[in-house]
Amino acid sequence: MAGYILKRLLSAIPVLIGISVIVFLIMAMIPGDPATAILGSYATPENVAALNEDLGLDEPLVTRYFIWLSNMVQGDFGRSFALNRPVLDEVLERFGATLVLAGTAFVLCSVFGIAAGVISAANQYGFGDKAITFVVLLGISIPSFFLGMMMILIFAVNLRWFPVSGMWPIFGDRTIWVLLDHLAMPAIALAVVATGVVARLSRSAMLEVLRQDFIRTARAKGVRENSVIWRHALRAAMVSIIPVLGIQAGFVLSGAVYIEMVFQWPGVGRMLVDAILRRDILLVQGGVVFIAACYVLFNIAVDVAQSLLDPRIKT
Amino acid sequence: MSNFLRLLARNKLALGGLIVMGIVIFFALITPLLPLADPNVTNTADRFQPVFSEGALLGTDHLGRDLLSRLMWGTRLSLAVGFAAAIIAATIGAAIGIIAGYYGGRTDNIIMRGVDMLMAFPYILLALAIVAALGPGLLNALIAVAAVNIPFFARNIRGITVGIANKEFVDAARLAGKSDASIILSEVLPNVIPVIVIAMSTTIGWMILETAGLSFLGLGSQPPVADLGSMLGEARSALITNPHTSIVPGMMILIIVMAINLLGDGVRDALDPRLKSGALSRPMPATRVDRKGPIPEAEGDDLLALRGLETQFHVKDRVYKAVGGVDLNVRPGECLGLIGESGSGKSVTALSVMGLVASPPGVITGGAVYFEGEDLVGAPYSKLRRMRGKRVAYIFQDPLATLHPLYTIGDQLIEAVSCHRPIGKSEGRAHAVELLRQVRIPNAEKRVDSYPHELSGGMRQRVGIAMALANDPEVIIADEPTTALDVTVQAQVLTLLDDLRREKGLAILFITHDFGVVAQLCDRVAVMYAGRIVEQGPTDAILNAPAHPYTSKLMACVPELGEGRRRLEAIPGLPPVVDKLPDGCAFADRCHVATDACRRGEIPLDPLSDKRRVRCIHPVSDPATEAAQ
Amino acid sequence: MSFLNLSRRAALALTAAAAVALGGLSPATAQTPPGVLVVGQIAEPQALDPHAVTAVNDFRILMNVYDGLVRYASGTLEVEPALATDWTISDDGTVYTFTLREGVSFHDGSPFNAEAVVFNFERMLNEDHPFHDTGPFPLSFFFSSVDSVEATGDMEVTFTLSEPYAPFLSNLAYPTGLIVSPAAVEQYGADFGRNPSGTGAFRFEEWRSNEAVVVVANPDYWDGAPALEAVVFRPITDANTRTAEMLAGGIDVMVEVPPVALGEFEGDAFTIHEQAGPHVWFLILNALEGPFADVRVRQAANYAVNREAIVNDVLEGTAEVAAGPTPPAFAWAYNDELEPYPYDPDRARELLAEAGMENPEITFYVTEGGSGMLDPIAMGTAIQADLEAVGFDVTIETYEWNTFLGRVNPGLEGEADMAEMAWMTNDPDTLPYLALRTAAWPDQGGFNSGYYSNPEVDALLEEARTATDQDRRAELYREMQVIVQEDAPWVFVANWVQNAVTNDRVEGFGLEPSFFLLLHDVAKN
Repeated sequence: MAGYILKRLLSAIPVLIGISVIVFLIMAMIPGDPATAILGSYATPENVAALNEDLGLDEPLVTRYFIWLSNMVQGDFGRSFALNRPVLDEVLERFGATLVLAGTAFVLCSVFGIAAGVISAANQYGFGDKAITFVVLLGISIPSFFLGMMMILIFAVNLRWFPVSGMWPIFGDRTIWVLLDHLAMPAIALAVVATGVVARLSRSAMLEVLRQDFIRTARAKGVRENSVIWRHALRAAMVSIIPVLGIQAGFVLSGAVYIEMVFQWPGVGRMLVDAILRRDILLVQGGVVFIAACYVLFNIAVDVAQSLLDPRIKT
Repeated sequence: MSNFLRLLARNKLALGGLIVMGIVIFFALITPLLPLADPNVTNTADRFQPVFSEGALLGTDHLGRDLLSRLMWGTRLSLAVGFAAAIIAATIGAAIGIIAGYYGGRTDNIIMRGVDMLMAFPYILLALAIVAALGPGLLNALIAVAAVNIPFFARNIRGITVGIANKEFVDAARLAGKSDASIILSEVLPNVIPVIVIAMSTTIGWMILETAGLSFLGLGSQPPVADLGSMLGEARSALITNPHTSIVPGMMILIIVMAINLLGDGVRDALDPRLKSGALSRPMPATRVDRKGPIPEAEGDDLLALRGLETQFHVKDRVYKAVGGVDLNVRPGECLGLIGESGSGKSVTALSVMGLVASPPGVITGGAVYFEGEDLVGAPYSKLRRMRGKRVAYIFQDPLATLHPLYTIGDQLIEAVSCHRPIGKSEGRAHAVELLRQVRIPNAEKRVDSYPHELSGGMRQRVGIAMALANDPEVIIADEPTTALDVTVQAQVLTLLDDLRREKGLAILFITHDFGVVAQLCDRVAVMYAGRIVEQGPTDAILNAPAHPYTSKLMACVPELGEGRRRLEAIPGLPPVVDKLPDGCAFADRCHVATDACRRGEIPLDPLSDKRRVRCIHPVSDPATEAAQ
Repeated sequence: MSFLNLSRRAALALTAAAAVALGGLSPATAQTPPGVLVVGQIAEPQALDPHAVTAVNDFRILMNVYDGLVRYASGTLEVEPALATDWTISDDGTVYTFTLREGVSFHDGSPFNAEAVVFNFERMLNEDHPFHDTGPFPLSFFFSSVDSVEATGDMEVTFTLSEPYAPFLSNLAYPTGLIVSPAAVEQYGADFGRNPSGTGAFRFEEWRSNEAVVVVANPDYWDGAPALEAVVFRPITDANTRTAEMLAGGIDVMVEVPPVALGEFEGDAFTIHEQAGPHVWFLILNALEGPFADVRVRQAANYAVNREAIVNDVLEGTAEVAAGPTPPAFAWAYNDELEPYPYDPDRARELLAEAGMENPEITFYVTEGGSGMLDPIAMGTAIQADLEAVGFDVTIETYEWNTFLGRVNPGLEGEADMAEMAWMTNDPDTLPYLALRTAAWPDQGGFNSGYYSNPEVDALLEEARTATDQDRRAELYREMQVIVQEDAPWVFVANWVQNAVTNDRVEGFGLEPSFFLLLHDVAKN
């Protein structure tokens, strides 16, 4: 197992280097530069050139890439032009917030998606199945940003059940309850689509499994139906659900961009959108490489989980 | 194609989606012809008119533009972009996937690494960066959305292609000297297209959402042109004051994407061959019971007695009479063989006993199953469950499929006990080891932690038997337990069963299609054909002198030890389809002694001698003559 | 059936969880404490180093943490003493000598004196200064005419200019002229922007990334301790969310209220504040080539745009119709006799006919948003509709702000015929000098992206910049406005009336024509 993990980690390195090249090239291709962004209305070509020189952007592209890469390997992600602080500090701080939001949404979508899929499959064509199928369909069809806007309008502005935005209140203690209060709406809005996808997949995976012979065996043994569904069938269905959870994690992370914008969540997605708009090159590059690395690691973790779950997979 | 449309139309939800999409597309197409206000003419004095205002059915937006008109034009644009993005992504993604999957090796490796890279890139940021690089505009948003979705298609299609590229017909085409390009186009592509269509139909909705998302961020269509996303984006600042300007495009997106998703599901269901064969349905915990006629009374003191058991399969509007009134009985310590061809209904009979026939589509429509005088068919599920495995246990064919692949055999053995009585961890383990010893699995302490795939077929079958024995049941129903095994192992398993029967006084109902097996193990035998018992009696008597022509034909197929197995193809013709059973004897069409009388009325199971019964009006009197013919 | 039980159990658990979430948690709309003002900002500040930033959004914080040598008197754009108590200007207008206020300390405890002032300007202007690398200082060209800064006494500073430069005092009152603590710069270096120290009414307390910047009262403030205990600046980039927060009580003050949301704040619970400022929103017309090379077509565009509808309907009265290049907020330099172009589509069509161009094709650059751009997409769309109504054939191209600037500032030649633009300035000199002179064409480093050229205007602007007498300057600017309006290098559209909303707990709040947010006199119950 350790050897397998090591092998996977090593094979992630070229992927990450590739990503660093892609993001570097994209940022180099985007018209406009940080100097224009910083100078705003005062960005004359003259001022822009002078400022770009100050920022070290007048070097040739290849030189810039290797300087960046070698610094990054040593743990120095550079400084954000716009925020005037080290990229890594900003990314880590913001990534924490995203992790709380996307992590919660991921847990919600996994738990509720799988539960909905299982209940739906177990009651196939029954009322519960139809109701869940309908809600799930609604869930995967609604744009998350629209849902978020509507939730703010209804639950925050009109009913005042939840705070409108932000992660922490400005005043008072930072308790877990306060966090949950702020987290509820954005996490749900973010989780809805993924929950739908997971539920649909879980349902069909469960239906597939429930027709298998070993389910009949379990029933013939006199296993209680709950145990047949949740222990026997779900365990086997997880083999095809887990890879989808891995993909959904990526979607949730990406979808967080909209939700972070609508709910003013201080996360890394919104940071990167702002950074792209401000041409904050180093922040975009560092942030993307960091997120991609996390995603790659997460996928390795998914594969490891998969092999732990399924003894038939040789590692 | 027409088959596909028929399947699609049969799915009510998909039909609903199709109708909604049809309406939306119809209106989108004729939008230019409708007497709508110009979508881009502003009239700022009449801004934010509410819904149902005069002259503006859905009201007006922040610049006083007619929302209905903008909605229609916007829908038109959003649909076009969504479809275009899906087609572009599918085409390019499929091309990449096919190339990677077909050529394999280094090409595959390099391409898939690239795909991995793109997938590790947060897709919205990638789209955002692409739009930032190309400049805003709906066309560029389309390119971005298509681009970020290419990896998903590529990965999907590659998997399918790898499977196809290794198929014989592709090898054959290669040997025939066809070029790679023509193999891809003529052999691979046609097999991949359904998958592409399925992937596309399930992602168009997603594409429309994503395009709307980019437009929402202001990176899509250029003002004053509306698409649904940009309408939502522009209306957002007025969300609190004039929510209708947001709700109108928001709901439209919801409706379109919902309809597309319903339709997409329908397309997938109609195209997916696994689903085509029968609705993907899961069996309920117990077979449905719907007994029309009177319930036969229990007779005698048999341990297990089937009386007039009828089990049918209801598929759509067809009714398959798998079991058409079967009477069987087993006493303690006795082994009853139930023999017949595949599809004769013997397995369904066996499964009906404990309500294990998959339902839907199975339904028990008549008769009774008496266990110690109590009717199991009418018993509530909870009672049935308590008896399953504890008093009546099953051994199934093909133990690789019938054992749970992800639990150790020890866990599965312990569970067989623990679902009937609480059992401690160490006690359970000891019991499991003991059970494995009973079925003569060597090295049981170690084997108990093995997974089914780590064992050989014979070992797995022994585990299946051990599991049946776990609770010391009174009856074991063995459904072709030796069919998947080779002959030596088969013999070992039969010996084992026979020993156990004698040691424990078990009653065994043994289902097989093989007289050799019957001869070895069974006291009595019942021969089944087309859902009914055609002959029944002591094994020796029937083996020596089969009375029913079917029995004698069947016996002609007895494999001799060492000669391998022979199949029942020796009997000319095929068994009748059980949804169209003929009048009279179901075997008449394959029988060389059949007369007109055989094809009329109900032929009863008449006593032939003291212990024998046969359902035939021309029973074979002299087995020797029969064999000679 | 057992699953039914299970799903019922799940539903129960869910309901219970929801009940906890809804009822069990702290009330979502906890009142903000008295004495602490929560301000809804439009974005996260870039830095709290006044020399390093350019955005009005950042200025709103900085003006409360720092002081300059001079400041704008409340409600005007006239300078008055701040950290300098007095100053003299040499007769030729090139030597400014400031007497500094005694007994002022920076928040970090270091003293404010002439050396500190010299440090500030040397840091920005002198590339050899040891702390010049803590920049960049994008607006240092405000002081490009400064030849030298010297401490001519412990509490006296002398600036020598290379040539007379009338806007100098006004520029000193701008955030770029705010004085930072040299000790803090020495301590934090490039991180000074996150650890600011000034002499202002509020002391920096904490910066929680993307959540809040907190400043607390400076009890030793030379102009009297502020009434508030603390101010919290919350960045809420989404205007809609900002409105929702204001309605829900999460913020006390909201700046830049979206026009469409103003209706929500009518009533006693809120007060809407308005203040016109030195802002002008205009369309740059490409006078070098294409249809707008003809002055009649440029005038036709001015007649065709319905400014009244834009300011009253699209902007809901958050702007006033602009008559010329100089905003009325520069009261002393504004020409009151200037009448805006009337909305006259017929006249526009006539002019187009005269010019022989009934249906000129035009490419129109629109931005998605940016400093002072108000509601650029809606406005651009309305303008496009108006122009189409008189015969123009307009194609809009939208760019996000930085790309937009990257396209517009190098000049419209070969790219577009028309572009949106807005400027907020502190002196009537700035905008016309940078954007209307022949010598300010993009290739010469200016912002005259439409290539307008009129030697008469060039001469007037040069003279106004070097004249030391304000009355004379005013006369020159008024003359310039008449000529420029007639030449129509721009379509003059609107002057922003800045707005803000406060809730009923806030007292003493007022907006400034400078667009700064000054909270020294504000109180909250």
